[in-house]
Amino acid sequence: MKRSKRFEVLENRPIHQDGFVKPWPEVGLVAMESSLDPVPSIKVENGRVVEMDGKRREEFDMIDSFIADYAIKLDNAENVAAMDSTEIARKICDINVPRDEVLKITLSMTPAKINEVVCKMSVLEIMMGLTKMRARKTPSNQAHATNLRDNTVEIAADAAEASFRGFDEEETTVGIARYAPMNAIGVLVGAQTGRPGVLTQCSVEEATELAMGMRGFTTYAETVSVYGTEQVFMDGDDTPYSKAFLASCYASRGLKMRFTSGTGSEVQMGFAEGKSMLYLEARCIFITKGAGSQGIQNGSVSCCGVPAGVPSGVRAMAAENLIATLLDLECASSNDQSFTHSDLRRSARTLMQFVPGTDFICSGYSSVPNYDNMFAGSNWDAEDFDDWLVIQRDLKLDGGLRPVKEDDVIKIRNKAAKACQAVFRGLGLPAITDEEVEAATYAHGSKDIPERNVNEDLKAIEEMMAGDTSGIDIIKALYDGGFPDVAEAVFNMQKQKVAGDYLHTAAILDKNFHVISAVNEPNDYHGPQTGYQMTEERLNEINDIPWAVNPEDY
Amino acid sequence: MDQEQMMKAIVEEVMKAMGQTAVSSAAVPSPEDRNKVDAGSYPLGEKIPDRIYSRTGKRLSDMKLEDVINGNLTAADMRISPQTMEMQAQVAESVGRENLAGNLRRAAELISVPDDRLIEIYNALRPYRSSKQELLDIADELSKKYNCTVCSAFVRDAADVYEKRDRLRQD
Amino acid sequence: MNIDQEELRNIVADVLKEMDLGGEEAPAQVSAASRTTVSAASAGRTESASGQLILTEEGEAKSGTAVDEVVLGITPAFGIYQTSTIIGIPHADVIKEIMAGIEEEGMKCRVVRVYRTADVSFVGHDAAVLSGSGVGIGIQSKGTTVIHQKDLPPLSNLELFSQAPLIDLPTYRQLGKNAAKYAKGESPNPVPVRNDQMARPKYQAIAALLHIKEAEHQDVKKKPQAVRVEFK
Repeated sequence: MKRSKRFEVLENRPIHQDGFVKPWPEVGLVAMESSLDPVPSIKVENGRVVEMDGKRREEFDMIDSFIADYAIKLDNAENVAAMDSTEIARKICDINVPRDEVLKITLSMTPAKINEVVCKMSVLEIMMGLTKMRARKTPSNQAHATNLRDNTVEIAADAAEASFRGFDEEETTVGIARYAPMNAIGVLVGAQTGRPGVLTQCSVEEATELAMGMRGFTTYAETVSVYGTEQVFMDGDDTPYSKAFLASCYASRGLKMRFTSGTGSEVQMGFAEGKSMLYLEARCIFITKGAGSQGIQNGSVSCCGVPAGVPSGVRAMAAENLIATLLDLECASSNDQSFTHSDLRRSARTLMQFVPGTDFICSGYSSVPNYDNMFAGSNWDAEDFDDWLVIQRDLKLDGGLRPVKEDDVIKIRNKAAKACQAVFRGLGLPAITDEEVEAATYAHGSKDIPERNVNEDLKAIEEMMAGDTSGIDIIKALYDGGFPDVAEAVFNMQKQKVAGDYLHTAAILDKNFHVISAVNEPNDYHGPQTGYQMTEERLNEINDIPWAVNPEDY
Repeated sequence: MDQEQMMKAIVEEVMKAMGQTAVSSAAVPSPEDRNKVDAGSYPLGEKIPDRIYSRTGKRLSDMKLEDVINGNLTAADMRISPQTMEMQAQVAESVGRENLAGNLRRAAELISVPDDRLIEIYNALRPYRSSKQELLDIADELSKKYNCTVCSAFVRDAADVYEKRDRLRQD
Repeated sequence: MNIDQEELRNIVADVLKEMDLGGEEAPAQVSAASRTTVSAASAGRTESASGQLILTEEGEAKSGTAVDEVVLGITPAFGIYQTSTIIGIPHADVIKEIMAGIEEEGMKCRVVRVYRTADVSFVGHDAAVLSGSGVGIGIQSKGTTVIHQKDLPPLSNLELFSQAPLIDLPTYRQLGKNAAKYAKGESPNPVPVRNDQMARPKYQAIAALLHIKEAEHQDVKKKPQAVRVEFK
């Protein structure tokens, strides 16, 4: 065939680098609205569920048992099951039906029912639902601070910059698992230098993550993963019961924690039992609710290439965020991991959460260039900072970031690198040289940083973890190293664990360590001019991008 | 108590802690009710810091950076107390979050379990890690040694489900 | 992405064919009973420099006592139902390089096939538990690899190579070498981590299909099997 020049051009567009698949419902390779999903049902006898979503109790698997016993408000359950799903969908996006009234219905649903309800909704209606049902009034954003070499001083500098740019939470992870404690310290010290009160975590294997939290190296946890089929849960090395216990372990040490799940994980791990990704995700969110977790990170997260490969996949990601809010959970709405080569497509995907606002629009936004993003790449990275700022300004939306000046950023990165240097000195970790501090101050990514002796670092970490080094030692090291303000900030973060206020739904801290959550600032949106409105000060801040020209100059 | 009654009691206990409203409201009012808090006192650390004590008995409003530097505050002091956790559970309940309150009450019990042991117990609850007897022994340890009655019942519940679903240790 | 789409279509067709046959067919059991011959160049995939890979199962894998061994755990479909990694590197070459890396350090490689799971971390951990040195490697058919140690939690690791499309033959050799060094009690420099933020958009849906195919051969009740490796 003689080729059409236009088709040749189209084939060379970035979108053609993405992987697309036709749905295959029999193995669960379908995003939502599968005819193989269970029909909703519930029967309660003597305060106990005897049938749920077409299964009798004798047929329940571990997940069914957990959800039936712990996750559903039973007093209203049979009434809700009898309600028309389209009617419920309409109430969810109707500004005249208050959030609390919707919760009275949705908290008594089964997974199949909530799945059926959100499948009745268009993305616009899902977004309207998100705006109303989000737990915290003020939307927020989370950053990733990682790098290819697990270079801690670079993590500290990037974390400081991210805090300074406006992120309220920051997450790091590892290339090499054994680096975890050092990276956790880096993101903690950096974040507190950039803006006191920012919450930090380090995503690694569950027991290791808990151990770091107990020591005070982290202030919250997020990678507490749950899955929608029993076999995949086993491959994730947990059960709903162990995860619920883990949730209580975190709380017992005064640490904020949220669960993580997402569409596509079950089919990605090979056992979707022929159910749609969204139905299985609904089960995850019910497990989260039943375990008493205050919130969840979802929106396909690391599996986003799977739903994105089939029809309605991006819609399913928004729908799962909505389900989280319908169960009155904090929702950190993904928008983190790369799923497309196309700039158009990645922007369209993010508008689903950016426009309505969620508790954390990205979970997180890569505050480093994508080659350094150790979550295998992010949908947004450091090179998009100015694009994000302009979208905020264009649409009069609060996406959590603010314009910053270059010299301010250089100062804050330098301070964080030096603070990290002081902490290493105080903890007896292999020295951070002045050359490294200088490089981290001006770096864009880890390619700009001198290499460290990885083996020495790993040995020192092993020795540190064999002892009882804790957050207290970090505070002392900062104080002794000439950073009393950063020491004070880290100390105030440790005090949060004594008070426990930030264990509540959707909690974040402002720069004065004032807790803002769905308890003291619940979302009260009910139509135009209600709910979250930017203050004049905040509006001026996001409007004032430094590279806009001044009319008076012409 | 016969076995069925005992089972029922355990289920009720767990349901209560996990936030099932149906059984949670029947409790007899106790003198502690006078000290109850709700969302109006929140954030507790800000509004009533003089009523918040660490697990070691240090008052939150007295905790200062200097005390860390001079060694008067240690890592052990940076821990929440069961009493504070109960107050947070009450706050959660006052805004309709019974499941979260249930989690916080289980957490209040686990405060007394040492770090290393707590991690071991969590690992023992992971799939294929424990025999049924080992899980029941943990449940006993939780209730007898650490007075964690709700968590103990929860572990027993898990042991039954693991047995039914064949997720116990396979030697 | 024309080639990938075609490959994808083939995979879908393959799996559909298997699905259609339904419960009567039990390829995993049939194959496990006798010697399995795998041509690395089959299914129109890349020519293998190592020729034909022959994996012969010889009964239940034993717990090793030799401190100079590294156990390589392969997943249920490895080298049988799938014969090359997600980017088309023949399994024959992959195994050869890992073994060469281990032997270069004066250590021995013992291969076992894990059936109870197809998860790379668990396979690697099972291998480590069986290993006399306590160090094992786990590898999936699509190429994802982990170096593991028996006293670590299953989902932790010594080194993880999570992005299968980025793993080339020199990396397989290097990770074999590193595993051997850990087994000797040394602390090697970890193989430099690679990262490509566009691997997921390009490969994740395909990876899901490959894993579904792999997981179909999983047998929760079956113990790890000893495997004799030959190249012809």
